[in-house]
Amino acid sequence: MSWRRVTLVALHVFRESVRDRVLYAIAAFAVAIVAASILIGQITAGQDVKIIKDIGLATIELAGIAMSVFVGIGLVSREIERRSIFALLAKPLPRAEFVVGKYLGLVLTIVVNIAAMTVALYLMLAFLDWRASPDQRLGWDTAATDPRLLVAVGLITVEMALLTAVALFFSTFSSSALLSLMFTLGLFVAGFFGDDLRHFGDIIEVAPMVGAFVSALGWVLPAFSAFDVKAQVVHGIPVPPGFVVWTIAYGGAYIVGLLAASIALFSRREFQ
Amino acid sequence: MPTVVVRTHQLTKDFRTGFWRPRPYRGLDGLTLEIAAGGVYGLLGPNGAGKSTTLKLLLDLLRPSAGQAEVLGRPAGDTRARQRLGFLPENPTFYDHLTAEELLRYFSGLFGLTGSEARRRAAHALDRVGLGADRRRPIRQYSKGMVQRVGLAQALVNDPELIVLDEPMSGLDPVGRREVRELILELRDEGRTILFSSHILSDAELLCTAVGILNRGRLVASGPLHELTSNRVSGWEVVAAIADPAMVARLTTRAARSREIAPGRSSFELGPDATPEPFIAELAAAGGSLVSVNPLRTTLEDVFVRAVASSPDAERAG
Amino acid sequence: MTRSRIWISLVVAAAGVGLAATVLYAREARHPLPAPETRLLYLRSGRTADRVFLSFDALAADVYWIRTIQHYGRDVRSTRRTGRFELLEPLLDLTTTLDPRFNVAYRFGAMFLAEPEPRGPGRPDQAIALLRKGLANNPRRWQYAHDIGFVHYWYTADYRQAAEWFERAAAMPNAPEWIGPLAALTLAQGGDRDSSRRLLNELRSSDQSYVRSAAERGLAQLQSLDAIDELQGMIERYRTAHGTYPSGWDELIRARVLPGVPGDPTRTAFAYDRESHAVSLSPDSSLSPLPPFLQGRR
Repeated sequence: MSWRRVTLVALHVFRESVRDRVLYAIAAFAVAIVAASILIGQITAGQDVKIIKDIGLATIELAGIAMSVFVGIGLVSREIERRSIFALLAKPLPRAEFVVGKYLGLVLTIVVNIAAMTVALYLMLAFLDWRASPDQRLGWDTAATDPRLLVAVGLITVEMALLTAVALFFSTFSSSALLSLMFTLGLFVAGFFGDDLRHFGDIIEVAPMVGAFVSALGWVLPAFSAFDVKAQVVHGIPVPPGFVVWTIAYGGAYIVGLLAASIALFSRREFQ
Repeated sequence: MPTVVVRTHQLTKDFRTGFWRPRPYRGLDGLTLEIAAGGVYGLLGPNGAGKSTTLKLLLDLLRPSAGQAEVLGRPAGDTRARQRLGFLPENPTFYDHLTAEELLRYFSGLFGLTGSEARRRAAHALDRVGLGADRRRPIRQYSKGMVQRVGLAQALVNDPELIVLDEPMSGLDPVGRREVRELILELRDEGRTILFSSHILSDAELLCTAVGILNRGRLVASGPLHELTSNRVSGWEVVAAIADPAMVARLTTRAARSREIAPGRSSFELGPDATPEPFIAELAAAGGSLVSVNPLRTTLEDVFVRAVASSPDAERAG
Repeated sequence: MTRSRIWISLVVAAAGVGLAATVLYAREARHPLPAPETRLLYLRSGRTADRVFLSFDALAADVYWIRTIQHYGRDVRSTRRTGRFELLEPLLDLTTTLDPRFNVAYRFGAMFLAEPEPRGPGRPDQAIALLRKGLANNPRRWQYAHDIGFVHYWYTADYRQAAEWFERAAAMPNAPEWIGPLAALTLAQGGDRDSSRRLLNELRSSDQSYVRSAAERGLAQLQSLDAIDELQGMIERYRTAHGTYPSGWDELIRARVLPGVPGDPTRTAFAYDRESHAVSLSPDSSLSPLPPFLQGRR
């Protein structure tokens, strides 16, 4: 695999996203929501920092989801629809490199966007910190500009990388953007409930076979809720480093699996 | 450099149409041909004959249902074969947000060209197709003719041995078409091989060294152009100025047919076995004067129509 | 790409997903995430929620119901010492305010609330309040009145109230025939084993699966109590025969009084206290603890 070619494809995707106004809209919207949350923060006594952190992290995650899904599902299928793929694949570019390059390009885009939004969030928290009185500061669980927020943001980024891989996977073989969208969002929702699926048999009484099947589904489906440490970070509860390492490993293994499947499917694909 | 740039053997492609009960449709049936290096090869045929299918099979955009294809000495699926070829798809689209220069630098990069070499090649290709001045404008602002030229440029950026063009003239105005024709001849003179598909015969007649005619997936005629449209004269056309209708009628009996092309001027067609000299003598004796004498040859159109008409089956579905 | 390479990719894909699942499992075992002690519900008032969600009330109710179940499920499994099930009541209140006809939220919600530790918060008062809200919004549903009666019988041991509510249920439209006798039974001899057995047998025909399984469980508990009585009798006879109380089940087995270690219907061995010579239900048994109305009754 020539990483030089993969990088070219990735940078091409990144450049396209930079010139794509939709992404700016999502990012701007996200920043606006966090700014608005400062107003909400004024209302609830003493809880403002916590609320802004909650809203800030949730907004970053939602914006990330919007980007991963809406751009991800079109990553491959748009090129095929627009037929720009003919000229591209006529070059000495192996299909695997095309898939990996597209993926890395979108992940790079998302990382940059999340970084920008995180900077904006920290600026707002710093502003709050500056304006607060020492008494108010005592009432906070953690510092306003607590660096531990970065742990949550980091795991959200890995979560988005996984979601992008899911969207890309559907993009490689489905020609209908709507279908890809439904499948990707469906998997996301299922992953969200993964925890409950995994422990299905413990609470609800069903036949053991059904319980085992649902449980297995919970283990196999991508567990998006497993990346959520927002509550811990906002309350200042330490997240064990082992947890972070294993979670990243989980994301990495699943992403590799999805990319391999995407490559296999895309290599078989024909273009009429 | 291999002497045969493209070789296929019993190349066949079946498509499945319909979702619920797929019916196979044979887009290409047992195509066997060889394209020699140097020169221009025209792949001709009506719409739906399988021309685009053939080109895509050569470029690994489609996979054969049966048979093999070889490009530049390698199997069609081998990525390395595409290192030395250029491809212009039919009605191409590129990336709207890029400028022509950025597109070509991207593609040169994919060929392994780097830095200043990539920049140089990109600029050279764009100048060659006449886009030098517009190269920093985004492709989204280009006219159709300009997009076609970008397509040609990206097919040339790697200095290819083989250039494959799918309907290169489609959508161009007469000026554009002439420019493309001249470019193709230039490339031929540089020693490259050009393979193009078209359903416009006049272009093929002007450009091609050899042709292959497809109809409904089958190769119904192929070979060097000059062999297909033989050098043998198939008749003569004598244009004469002669006023007297009685004389015209008498001369007509000496010819295969005649028609009046203007008052006092008629065109007489002589058969393949006749020579014009006796007729011209008759003409003089009848009091007419000679305007022109032209040999008639079999045109590519004749070959085409004959080949297509002679292939079996009724009207195709299109 | 050749066929073999494609197969390899698919194998890698499966391996990747499999490895991921293994990593996830290992992570839960080795580095579980500590849960925050306080949990906040941003919306506590049902009326505010109503306004916030506009015309999407029913959908919001569904979402809150799902959260309720998740909350219950997680807390049942969690090992926290304080604050378990703390959000159950507000979540149920929100759910039923957003959708006042959300039948399952009232009925299952009430059962979640009434269930004592460790499987629930043990708040029959909240359960009854929820069911009364259900009745207020749906006055013709006899099931809610019946459930209130059941909660009184089973969890608060207030037999008079239980009988009253069963009577009210019986008077409501479409109430099944077996509710009337239930009221009479409860009032007459509420609490002893025989009437309890009869009550439980009636409850086995309830349309509520939870009530049915609770009735089965109650019957098994009654069976255990009968067995305990018998075993207690055997121990007394042993003392009369041998002069001392047995030190454990082994002695009774050696003396051929018992064929093996005695157990309850879930096959968990009964506990024998050497000092007090009392037989009881093992605390490890799933039938434990006995509900209040069965404890110490004949």
